Amino acid sequence: MKNILSKYIFVIFCLIFSQITNAKTDECFNCHSGLDDSPSKLFKNDIHQKVGLSCSSCHGGDNTSDDMEISMDKKNGFLGIPSQNKISEICAKCHSDIENMKKYRTDISTGQLEELKKSVHGAIAVDGKGMILQCTTCHNAHGIKKVTDSGSLVYPTNIPNTCNKCHGDINYMRKYNPGLSVDQLAKYRESKHGKLNLKGNRKVAQCASCHGSHAVFTSKDVRSKVYPLNIPETCSTCHSDKEYMKESNIPTDQFEKYKKSVHGVALFEKKDISAPVCNSCHGNHAATPPGISSISKICGTCHALNAELFGNSPHKKVFDENNYPECETCHGNHLILVARDQLLGVNEGAVCAKCHTEEKNPKGFKAAVKMRALIDSLVVLDSISRRQIFIAEQKGMEVEEAKFKLRDVHQAELEARTVVHAFDAEKFSEIINKGVNASNEVISEANSQVDEYYFRRYGLVVAVLIISLLALLLYFQIKRIEAKQNL
Amino acid sequence: MTQEIQKEKVQPRRDFLKYLLSSVTAGFGLIVFYPVFSFMKPPKQREVEVTSLKIGNVDDIEIGDSKIIRFGNKPVIVIRNGKEDFSALSATCTHLDCTVQYKKDESVIWCACHNGKYDLTGRNISGPPPRPLEKFKADVKNNEIIISKIV
Amino acid sequence: MKKIFTNLYNWVDERVDLSDIVKFMSKKYVPVHSHSIWYYFGGVSLFFFIIQVVTGILLLFYYKGSADLAYESIHFIMSKVEFGWLIRSIHAWSANLFVLAAFIHMFSVYFEKAYRKPREMTWITGMLMFFLALGFGFSGYLLPWNELAFFATKVGTDIAGVLPIIGEPIKIFLRGGEDVTGATLSRFFGFHVALFPGIFTVLLFIHLLLVQRQGMSEPLNEKVKKTMPFFPNFVLRDLLLWLVVLNLLAILAVFFPAELGIKADPLAPAPAGIKPEWYFLFMFQTLKYIPGYVLFIEGEILGIFLFGLAGILWVLVPFWDKKSEQGRQNKLVNYLGIFAVMFIIVMTIVGWLL
Ligand code: FES
Repeated sequence: MKNILSKYIFVIFCLIFSQITNAKTDECFNCHSGLDDSPSKLFKNDIHQKVGLSCSSCHGGDNTSDDMEISMDKKNGFLGIPSQNKISEICAKCHSDIENMKKYRTDISTGQLEELKKSVHGAIAVDGKGMILQCTTCHNAHGIKKVTDSGSLVYPTNIPNTCNKCHGDINYMRKYNPGLSVDQLAKYRESKHGKLNLKGNRKVAQCASCHGSHAVFTSKDVRSKVYPLNIPETCSTCHSDKEYMKESNIPTDQFEKYKKSVHGVALFEKKDISAPVCNSCHGNHAATPPGISSISKICGTCHALNAELFGNSPHKKVFDENNYPECETCHGNHLILVARDQLLGVNEGAVCAKCHTEEKNPKGFKAAVKMRALIDSLVVLDSISRRQIFIAEQKGMEVEEAKFKLRDVHQAELEARTVVHAFDAEKFSEIINKGVNASNEVISEANSQVDEYYFRRYGLVVAVLIISLLALLLYFQIKRIEAKQNL
Repeated sequence: MTQEIQKEKVQPRRDFLKYLLSSVTAGFGLIVFYPVFSFMKPPKQREVEVTSLKIGNVDDIEIGDSKIIRFGNKPVIVIRNGKEDFSALSATCTHLDCTVQYKKDESVIWCACHNGKYDLTGRNISGPPPRPLEKFKADVKNNEIIISKIV
Repeated sequence: MKKIFTNLYNWVDERVDLSDIVKFMSKKYVPVHSHSIWYYFGGVSLFFFIIQVVTGILLLFYYKGSADLAYESIHFIMSKVEFGWLIRSIHAWSANLFVLAAFIHMFSVYFEKAYRKPREMTWITGMLMFFLALGFGFSGYLLPWNELAFFATKVGTDIAGVLPIIGEPIKIFLRGGEDVTGATLSRFFGFHVALFPGIFTVLLFIHLLLVQRQGMSEPLNEKVKKTMPFFPNFVLRDLLLWLVVLNLLAILAVFFPAELGIKADPLAPAPAGIKPEWYFLFMFQTLKYIPGYVLFIEGEILGIFLFGLAGILWVLVPFWDKKSEQGRQNKLVNYLGIFAVMFIIVMTIVGWLL
């Protein structure tokens, strides 16, 4: 009885309500709102509701009938609660349809499902029933807001938490990628980006800025925005944009400089992905500029020997005391050029004299001059060695031996350029001497080959002379014999 | 022999010619046989050594030690891992062609130039080297170590 | 010194009667006429052969006839062995000049019709030696086991392989298997230093014996009035020429030493411009020009067949040229010879330039 009554009242209510909303009566929503269930509550504020979509747009059925038997009849296309890939397909029905989407906004993108499908999240889930992620995982099902709405789950300041729902859950993550850490959010909150993000800054980078939104790939995937080869580009979308970076007071020329640096050249021209990119020095999730005293440690992750030598050198203490950034003082930061021998010494282009001026620090000044002279002399000897080898080779002589020894010269040069970071003139000249000795051997070996060449020529002259002379004498002898015979 | 009879007639010139002829013939013999005998003289390096090479006795290298040998035109590093267990790798660093060395305490092959490191199978494990070291075969036969190219 | 020599001579003379040979030699006369110069090319060929034997034996001291060591051993000879470069370069140059001298010797004999009765056997042994010389060249070319040689051998043996029925077995026999491999090298080495020299020596012995026995042939259309004693006049002249040739060899060897190229790699693609040695070039080039099919016969087979036929006719010339035998001019032989010379020269040049 009560039931019938309430139903009666409800129907009337619905009728009135539909009268209010006039346009087309959405019977599904009418009823469900009456039931006060959470989907309908959420849907009230959903962007889709606002643009006139109804429950049946996704769930199917006939939204014009208030009779549940009819409206929720499978014959009328009722789907119920869609599951797994069905969910995303339903969203894509509209969102992948350019024509349809144009009605709302002309610049809206439409490839989201396609992108999701090929992304890591589009792989099949552990239960084997569908993709790991569906649209609703990040966007929710009901109560979807515009991205620009701060209530949206994918609003910049909300994204970190949205992603963290899964990525911070070790139990969940280990099902897919046990090796992947789950502390990205914690790290992120320690970074400049994360801190500003927490304060509500929409412009700083969050997960999607670097990883992409729908087309997310692992960092080992060449398509990924965070694949080493792509990282500088990715970071520079913001950091090189003067307009965008206006409020922060940091420079925007890092990318330009990096491109010209030895590291950038290695990365972009040689496609050497072991070359450091932005995050190698600044970190990724916890991105922040390295502190002055830790620079040598950071460079040392690759340039270990140089860092170690530097750490034990007299410079270490002085640099720390004076707050000189370690490697950077001589080599610079983003625009690190190939370290040439010219860097050493006190002449133009050299860095030592920055501190070791002749007046203030004659000892260091002298040492710098001496070391530069040493390496220069080795380089000269090296080129002489090569030239001698070339000359011998041009003459068609055997130079394998000399070339083999040339390796030692080459090695001494490379070692000297490393050992220079110990700033120990004695150690340095020891290695240079090794190279000098080797190159002397090379030169004498090559020269002996050149001598051999001339020996062959002179030997030939002697041989030809003797043979010709013999031939001539033989000729006379024949003439004599014949003269005699004719007597 | 017939000439001998007429010896007196043309004595001076003939003698000169004869003298010259025999000494030049001697010189000729010299320029012919000098190269020939030099050729036959065993050269400093006795034999061609390229595809495989005996590098000496097993005990020339102590266990856990290494030795750099010359294989044709390239250095090869031979490491003795165990009693009869040797490994041989090209000793040319794949980074910038320095000669690598065995670092016993770390059990790695190490390049002094830029701290490149390889494990004992030649795989580049740290530092700048972009590629593993080329492998060679190391066998022990009759107590001798034989290094050969892997084809 | 002289005494020892005389004693030694007498010692041998007592036992084998050397005086007979000396008498024979000094009684032997060489005709002198306007074409006498051609007589010397036989001697020059002989000289080159001697050089080949001597330098070849020397090279054997260090050469290793296996695929993985051949190249290296020659590199070793060229770089580590004293005068190794000289010995090898002389061997290589002398090989080429040997074939050249043999060519000239052959054609001069041909045009002089010196092959006519009673010297048929001399001609035939000579021709056989000529083919052996080509075989020496072909087999020796592979021995350094460098890229060029490898592919030239491949192409060369391939040509043998196109012959119907017998081609394939011949190819397999030459290669010691389906492909040019270390097995090919081993057998070419065997041919080059054992089989060929053995046969060649026998032929050479017969050839020289016949020449000594029958004396030099005289030209058909010229009455010979003058002669010179074979010993010492002709022999000394021969020696004189040999010295000149030796000089030439030394100069060539120093200024254009034999090259080694890069080691053969059976897996590498064939480099562009593979050419056989120059003395095979005319045949190689001709085979290229014959169209794929002539009537119903495959062009290459036809070419080889024609060359074979021409070769047989050439070898058998003493038997079908009856006119010369009777002391008359045989124009046909001359025309054929001129055609052959022109053909070889033109084709060689074309092959060289293209
Ligand atoms: S050369 Fe070996 S690490 Fe650079």
